[in-house]
Amino acid sequence: MAHAAELGRRELRRPLWSVRPAVLLLLPAGLFLVVFFLVPYLNMVRMSFLTKAQGAAFTNVMTLENYLRVLGDAFYWRVIGRTFWLAGLATVFTVLLGYPLAYAIARASGPRRPILLMLLLAPLLVGAVVRSYGWMILLGRVGLINQMLRALGWREAELMYNTLGVLIGLVHVYLPFMVLAVAGALEQIQADVELAARSLGASPWRTFWRVTWPLSLPGVFSGGILVFVLALSAYVIPILLGGNNVLVMPMLVVQMLLDAFNWPLGSAMAMVLFGLACAVLWAYVKVMNRALRWIPR
Amino acid sequence: MNANLRQLGFLGVVVALYVFLLAPIAIVVIAAFNAGEYLRFPPEGLSLRWFGRFLGSEPFVRAFWFSLKLASMVTVLSTLLGGAAAFYVVRHAGRSRDLLQLFFVAPLQLPAILTGIALLIFFYSLGLGTRGMAGLLIGHTVVSIPYVFLMVGAVLLRFDRTLEEAARSLGASAWTSFRRVTLPLIRGGVISGALFAFITSFDQFPVSLLLVSVGNTTLPIQLFDYLRFSFDPTAAAASTVSVAMSVAVVWLIDRLVGLEQVTWGGPR
Repeated sequence: MAHAAELGRRELRRPLWSVRPAVLLLLPAGLFLVVFFLVPYLNMVRMSFLTKAQGAAFTNVMTLENYLRVLGDAFYWRVIGRTFWLAGLATVFTVLLGYPLAYAIARASGPRRPILLMLLLAPLLVGAVVRSYGWMILLGRVGLINQMLRALGWREAELMYNTLGVLIGLVHVYLPFMVLAVAGALEQIQADVELAARSLGASPWRTFWRVTWPLSLPGVFSGGILVFVLALSAYVIPILLGGNNVLVMPMLVVQMLLDAFNWPLGSAMAMVLFGLACAVLWAYVKVMNRALRWIPR
Repeated sequence: MNANLRQLGFLGVVVALYVFLLAPIAIVVIAAFNAGEYLRFPPEGLSLRWFGRFLGSEPFVRAFWFSLKLASMVTVLSTLLGGAAAFYVVRHAGRSRDLLQLFFVAPLQLPAILTGIALLIFFYSLGLGTRGMAGLLIGHTVVSIPYVFLMVGAVLLRFDRTLEEAARSLGASAWTSFRRVTLPLIRGGVISGALFAFITSFDQFPVSLLLVSVGNTTLPIQLFDYLRFSFDPTAAAASTVSVAMSVAVVWLIDRLVGLEQVTWGGPR
């Protein structure tokens, strides 16, 4: 190592301005993200404090008006509540459905494993629009499920253009993220630990609840954060599977920006959603850290 | 009997979950090859007419080529930028390493729709607007860089640097040792990073939604607009094309690198 560093140094013709050439590797991406990621975000924060002008998108007059309008309006609070409620439900269901899948993948051996993984990753790489469309074909009024119900002589069910449809779509689209996170945690658990519990007389059920489940909790928590944030900002799924019946915050924000051209208010709405999300996640991490402390290591 | 029954039950649950994951995608593909106006059970026979409709629809075809061109450019740009940054952060960053890592992964942590909104406002604030392809290229690259960064970073962390030292001490120049030793060894991470960047761009929705403009529409946006007003299987044919792209990418990654490398690819 030291030898290589020596070699590197000898070859380096030091320029007058003493910038290490390695920094040149960092600069392009660094500058790119500063200009097109960091600055736009800061600009959006600034925009949320500006005033909408007549005939122009905004004027440089600072105000808190936008925030007061969002936070003082019961309508927005209802939409915010629904957005968080849906994201929370989606998170819970992805844990319930994702855990068995993750377990199967983490415990699979031989040639089965890559197949299980590929089948999990493939949907992840298909866009949310296509997947929502698949659900539209299945859940719609003349969809396959309703056709089946009618063939059985049952009543048609309202499966789409309501909360249920949106929830199904959210769980479907974000399930693989949860599975990957949980499977990663399950992989870390050594088989000996479970074997030890079994050999000491614990039933499989007890072994799972007292050993495997607590040890996999970090994966469940990190998967939960990921799914919750993704579900909060979902846009395609609520529109396609909820019609206009399930209004969530991202839909309102986009409407405000693209249809009403009210950037200050739209930015403020985005910031409120983002700020509340951070607050919820902060509380979540606090609680979970306390919970994790009880796990024997 | 008890243990067997339990295992059988578990197997049933896993199969059911995979059906849940894959059914909607399979249904889209089936609908695309189905002859009827909408999918009925039993299907009404095989037909390529919806693919014909897709190929005959100018907006869809134009959106497809546009997406392909855009995704290719995004792949090149984000692979170069993200790969170089990963090199610096893994090998040269000192105390700033954690901070830099956080920074380069940040576009992945923040909701893409928020990034799209921020960029839209930013471009208009500068008076540039979102005409043309540049806005989309920039936006997609921002959200693709983290994938390349993570995947190249992961292989670099596991890289045995004595191999480079050996090459250098045998007289290879820095460039030769990079080209002949380093690059072949980190190829896996670079390829999977690039392919992820490609599919991130090709399937991108939230960022595109805010940055598309008239005449510059991507396939997912075109599909979305179509689905809001019409249900017919032309959309299924378009979706099938996009599903085929994704399957090809997964297959390519598996053949070239192995999926295992990708999934748990994060720094160990």
